[in-house]
Amino acid sequence: MNCAEARDLAPELALGILGGAGRAEVILHVNGCARCQANVAEFTEVADALPMLAPEAEPSAGFEDRVLAALDAPKRSNRRRWISAIAVAAAAAAIVSITLVRVAESGDTARTAAPARSATPVVATMIGGASGQPAGWVSVAESRAVTVAVDYGIPVGTYRIQVRPERGDVATLGAMNVDPSGRGFWAGNSDLPLRTGTTIALIDDSGEVMCHGTLGNPQ
Amino acid sequence: MWSVSDDALVAGLAAGDQDAASAFVGRFQRRVFGLARTIVSDDRAAEDIAQEAFVRAWKHAGAYDARRGSVVGWLLTITRNLSIDAVRVRRPIAFDPYVLLELDAQSDERLPEDLAQLSDDTTRLRAALTQLPEEQCRAVVLAGLLGYTAREVGEMEGIPLGTAKTRIRTALIRLRAALVTEGHDS
Repeated sequence: MNCAEARDLAPELALGILGGAGRAEVILHVNGCARCQANVAEFTEVADALPMLAPEAEPSAGFEDRVLAALDAPKRSNRRRWISAIAVAAAAAAIVSITLVRVAESGDTARTAAPARSATPVVATMIGGASGQPAGWVSVAESRAVTVAVDYGIPVGTYRIQVRPERGDVATLGAMNVDPSGRGFWAGNSDLPLRTGTTIALIDDSGEVMCHGTLGNPQ
Repeated sequence: MWSVSDDALVAGLAAGDQDAASAFVGRFQRRVFGLARTIVSDDRAAEDIAQEAFVRAWKHAGAYDARRGSVVGWLLTITRNLSIDAVRVRRPIAFDPYVLLELDAQSDERLPEDLAQLSDDTTRLRAALTQLPEEQCRAVVLAGLLGYTAREVGEMEGIPLGTAKTRIRTALIRLRAALVTEGHDS
């Protein structure tokens, strides 16, 4: 994508109305181009102000009490459920890995998934964060060019970007810094081709998966 | 009782302070519910969305960064995204931006200090919106507030995609000019 194409899509990026693949391509360009970054920032300034134009309205009686009751639930309960889900997934992955090692040791040839090779990037939503909600996205173009971005719900910090193939060894691609607003971006190449079914995950210092996305079929 | 700044309330939220949470909800519930109702056009669904928006704000208060925007802007962005997700599959609507946004209405209610400044921005933006050609006003409200894609805007308005994109872009440029040139360039 060049500057003219990025600027054509800048208003839609700022308004949050671009689809996954288009959004990934624009962000990839904008993050490496200061002029386009400034262009998007100008549109974003207005885009962020537009929701304030909606007229205020009074919710029904008892709304505040219902909200406060919802907030009263343990703040990290979802996180615990998320950790539990990851633990189950990790256990399942471990079983799969052990099985595959035994298959490999026995000389069998495992069937492999197709590489995520496509002119159009393969995009997956990163799920996780404190609430188990969409936290960002991962894009893979030509099976090796990886872009990861998060913009919601991930605490400030530095995270390893880990590749977890359906079959094969876990590998680390690099590290991403997430700023205090929950935003982070990383782009680079994978040494090995990434296949459909591969999971990309952000891992914190303690080894916990903060969010992850699994590559599906090319879009 | 709670005359503290919006930023301080969010800090209280991040610390798990129930009093701050109560003040936060009380301060913003009309705005949050109003935005959700504007987008989803259903009171019950709007209340569910508003509640979820406050829960998200509570959970992610620690990630709020004042350098990236105001508290109310952050909270309304959460609300807008949740509302758009809730009506992701929808049909074209009969739509009048002037009615939807009550663009002729004036509000003289007293606001907390932080919101007063934002209200000035909102007033400028509201005025600028009324000065746009109607087709640009419609396009930017459909896309910027209600979350329709440029293609959907084109289909709803019966215009080519390129024209829809141009209307959205031109409207945003004019609205930004109104925000920046009237003594608010930050």
